[in-house]
Amino acid sequence: MPPWVDFEPFIVSGLALGGVYALSGVGLVVLYRATGVLYLAFGAVGALGALIAWSLITRAGVPGWVGWLACVAVAGAVTLAYGLLFGPALARRDPLIKAVATIGLTLILYGVMDLLWTTSGGQARSLTLPTDNGGFTVAQIQVTWTQVIALAAGVVLTVATGAFLRFTKLGTAMRAMANDRDITATLGVPVRRVEAAAWLGCGILGGIAGLLLADLVALDATTLTFLVISSLAAVLIARLRSITVTFVAAIVIGLLHDLLTPIASLTSYRDMTPFVIAAIGLLVLSRHQVMTQSREEA
Amino acid sequence: MRATLERASPARIARRPTRSQLIKGGVTAVLLLFAFFALPELLSLYYVDTMTQVAVYSIVTLALGLLVGRVGLYSLGQAAVLAIGAWAAARLLFATTQPYPLVLLEAGLITMLAGLLIGLPALRLRGLYLALITLMLAGSITVVLATVNFPNGGHGFLGYNGSLLHIPPIRRPSIAASDPAYFRYSMVVAVLMFALVLAHTKTRPGRAWAAIRQSEPAALAAGINIWFYKLWAFALASFITGVAGGVLAGAIHYLYSINFPTQDSITLLAVTLMGGVFSLWGAVIAALLEQFLPALLNNWGVSADWLIILFGVGVLQVLTTAPAGLADQVPRDLARLGRFLGRRLRRRPGGDAE
Amino acid sequence: MRRNNAARRTILLAAALALAAAGCSSSSSSSGATGSTPAAGSSSSAGAATVDTSSCGSKPGVKATGTPIPLGAIATNQPGTSFTDIPNMAKAYFDCVNANGGINGRPIKLYIATEQTNPAQIAADAKQLVQTDKVVGIVGNTSIIECSVDSSYWQKLGFYIIDSGIAPECYSTPNSAAVNMGPRYSSDGAVQYALAQHVSKVVFDQANVPGTGYIAAGPNALAKAANVPIVDLTENVPITDANSVAIKEVNDAGPNGAVILNFTPPQALVILQAAQKLGLEDRVKLWGCSTPCNTDFLAQSLGPKWNGKLFVNAELAPPDDTNTTSMNLYKAILKQYGSSVQGGIGSFSQMGFTEAEIAVHALQSITGPYTVQSVNAAFKAVKDFDTGQLCQLWTYGDYPLHIPNNSDWTVTPKDGKMTTAQGCTLISKVDPQIAQYRNAAGTAANAPTGS
Repeated sequence: MPPWVDFEPFIVSGLALGGVYALSGVGLVVLYRATGVLYLAFGAVGALGALIAWSLITRAGVPGWVGWLACVAVAGAVTLAYGLLFGPALARRDPLIKAVATIGLTLILYGVMDLLWTTSGGQARSLTLPTDNGGFTVAQIQVTWTQVIALAAGVVLTVATGAFLRFTKLGTAMRAMANDRDITATLGVPVRRVEAAAWLGCGILGGIAGLLLADLVALDATTLTFLVISSLAAVLIARLRSITVTFVAAIVIGLLHDLLTPIASLTSYRDMTPFVIAAIGLLVLSRHQVMTQSREEA
Repeated sequence: MRATLERASPARIARRPTRSQLIKGGVTAVLLLFAFFALPELLSLYYVDTMTQVAVYSIVTLALGLLVGRVGLYSLGQAAVLAIGAWAAARLLFATTQPYPLVLLEAGLITMLAGLLIGLPALRLRGLYLALITLMLAGSITVVLATVNFPNGGHGFLGYNGSLLHIPPIRRPSIAASDPAYFRYSMVVAVLMFALVLAHTKTRPGRAWAAIRQSEPAALAAGINIWFYKLWAFALASFITGVAGGVLAGAIHYLYSINFPTQDSITLLAVTLMGGVFSLWGAVIAALLEQFLPALLNNWGVSADWLIILFGVGVLQVLTTAPAGLADQVPRDLARLGRFLGRRLRRRPGGDAE
Repeated sequence: MRRNNAARRTILLAAALALAAAGCSSSSSSSGATGSTPAAGSSSSAGAATVDTSSCGSKPGVKATGTPIPLGAIATNQPGTSFTDIPNMAKAYFDCVNANGGINGRPIKLYIATEQTNPAQIAADAKQLVQTDKVVGIVGNTSIIECSVDSSYWQKLGFYIIDSGIAPECYSTPNSAAVNMGPRYSSDGAVQYALAQHVSKVVFDQANVPGTGYIAAGPNALAKAANVPIVDLTENVPITDANSVAIKEVNDAGPNGAVILNFTPPQALVILQAAQKLGLEDRVKLWGCSTPCNTDFLAQSLGPKWNGKLFVNAELAPPDDTNTTSMNLYKAILKQYGSSVQGGIGSFSQMGFTEAEIAVHALQSITGPYTVQSVNAAFKAVKDFDTGQLCQLWTYGDYPLHIPNNSDWTVTPKDGKMTTAQGCTLISKVDPQIAQYRNAAGTAANAPTGS
């Protein structure tokens, strides 16, 4: 077992990783609460936006903020289009079916991204945000402002969207729609508009997360698209309900993952951390009851 | 919905096969015989190798279709189960000189045990949770495999030697050493697995699964032991996937952990849905989509990315419009086309529509 | 309801196709842009303008007609890893030759089969090339596992393939000779350079792809012989948490240590950028990388902090620092015929060029029919050939193993380009495989002739 001082830098990097997981995880839960769909294409739309931003910034030479705006806009547009095209058709189906449908979207986006941005010739793309320069030092390693922003964004998202969904009229309408679209429609809620707002909001969230993750993790379609699988761990522990629990779980998972790094016997297995925690967590939580996620429960 | 009801209704248990069933059976038999005898002669070795993969993966999609279609369990970890079966078979093939069928059986049983260990606690979960936990477990297995690797003739429990300059190939059965012979061998194993599943679906487990899929409370009220039958489905699906893993090991000779990524499990679910989870032919169609189509496109120089896009579109299509998949949709579309043509042809000579 | 669904379906399909079609046109234009990156573009166009590509063939300007000579290549092409540039560049070279006389008037036709690291597919591809396309030689194979899967097949049929190797069997069997050094010997080169700078510890970190034990054996032998402790690490790729990787490497290496990476460029970039963001790049004595890092993309993306800090093994002559006929011809052919080469100037296309060069040289020596026997005998007979891209003269030969490229340059990033830090240096025969090859090859494993 290595000495404690070896673990210190990993606490910092673990928090940063937790911030990454929290960004995706909280985004997924917020989307689920607002639309009733576990939007597994969250990572893919973010990646698409980030790659488009990269192309605009490095190839077309547009200023940074234009690229980022394009990223968010594209992610929002794609998600909105998906929601409008497939939301109504699948609205009455089981949450499982709706989630599997987003897998379809993920595959389409993933294929398109690999076609348009090939990895031939050893090309290595990277997206850097201006907040990468500058930060402060903790435990002998530097923390960039981008990492702080990611963590802060996770916190803000948790608090703000929780409040939005609970206390505002639009948020309540979204939750009602996610629960049962037909009954909400009979109550006089402008279903189409609320739905569009929910999906657009989700897409914009995905775009912002995509930008941050492209900077923090890697600008690579495969990595970003399937990062969502690791983030699902936190989502599962929160049983797709509590945004706060998702956030906390994500931080814990990130910390644990990095804290395993200096332990030689476990370090090769540390990528399992999210999956193992999710599996254990779910099995413990379901000890006394059958856990099902039907329409009524959302 | 209708399709499910039809299959669930106990009145469908025929004591004597109907005429259409006999015709269907006959056609199936003819196709199988053709595939067994003629295909290896007609196809180039490239496509014979591809068809062997189709045979292997049709067993996997059969297992997945069983879980999804008959019991309603969406598994996002089938590639990991296949990997376990392949691992077990490879270890046994390197460590022992047992005959191949015995190794396949053992690989199937080991995988079945693993499936039961996973299935037991996971059965308390339903729907989306169950699907996601299978994804989590698949992710874990993928990471473990990346570290312990597949056996390659080394010593010790793991049987992996990382420094080899020449990796020995995994052996094949002595009667099926050549590629065409191995294709026939894998076909026989696939037919046996299909027969095994058929034996289940036509008898009590099949009826129990249909009842569970229809409505769990109703099945419970009818006195069906839901846990037992769900576990049985898990066990059966894991067993046949394990056997498929064994056949895969002999087919490709070399196993690498990078060949069983988590994405494969997602693709497998996509093609199984597209092929159709309610019919055994759906499993074959799914395997053709998963293995034959890529080989075809590869041959034509078309990027594999187009296939990924196609699978994505296919999943959306199946879930929104055609829940029974291609196996159901294609015959129906053909029948509609036939009726449409028939009406047109009848209209012509008479002049007026009926 | 049905109409809506059908409409939805068509819209979806149309959208996907339109996007992809738009992408096809834009990606070809963008690859053109990436092919001539700002810094390298000027020098390449200057060099190309003065070199006539017709020197690639024996009869300038005469188009080759007649029965094509079929050759084959297998390359990995999957999301995240694509080596198609290498056979594509070989094809570009062959196109040039075909436009300038061909081989005794006959054009070369290169059949390129791609694979997604699936052993079944790779074996099938090999059979397709041999049985359906009836190729008489294999030139340009570049695959993570192809050598392992097919080496017994090539041996059985009597093919002596010219490839860019990765798997162990590319360097340890009689039927494969590579123009590159492969991950093991390339890592040897990087570690060797670090040891020459008197570091006190080496951390060797590589991607967890097939063959890690075989690859690590080389650097471990070198470090052991120099009495320097070495730590072997592997990372699952794609890396999602580069921060912990970088911290671990730096902690293990210590202030007077070296971190040597063996990853594909995107993964190496992620690790190095993480190290920079964490402020760790100066915490070790030096950073090293095997040859995949030798690309101007990386030099540009890394920035000035890594000038003289990162030392990359270069298996092939640095394009920006070399002004020879061969290098200028390479750049010219790339410009004129290499539209399908996405990565532009770099080691990938250089490898393709070199392999094609060797093949053409061998084919031109054949009198009589071009059969599997005659072509592969000619390949095997290549001896002391000056490719103009390598440190040494290249020899195939009749040996039980082949490591014909066993001498390297070391380059370091400087202002967005990779520049030479050290000239040709032989890989130490402390690596047992190198020793075995030099014993077998004798004078063929000569000291470098390049600078």
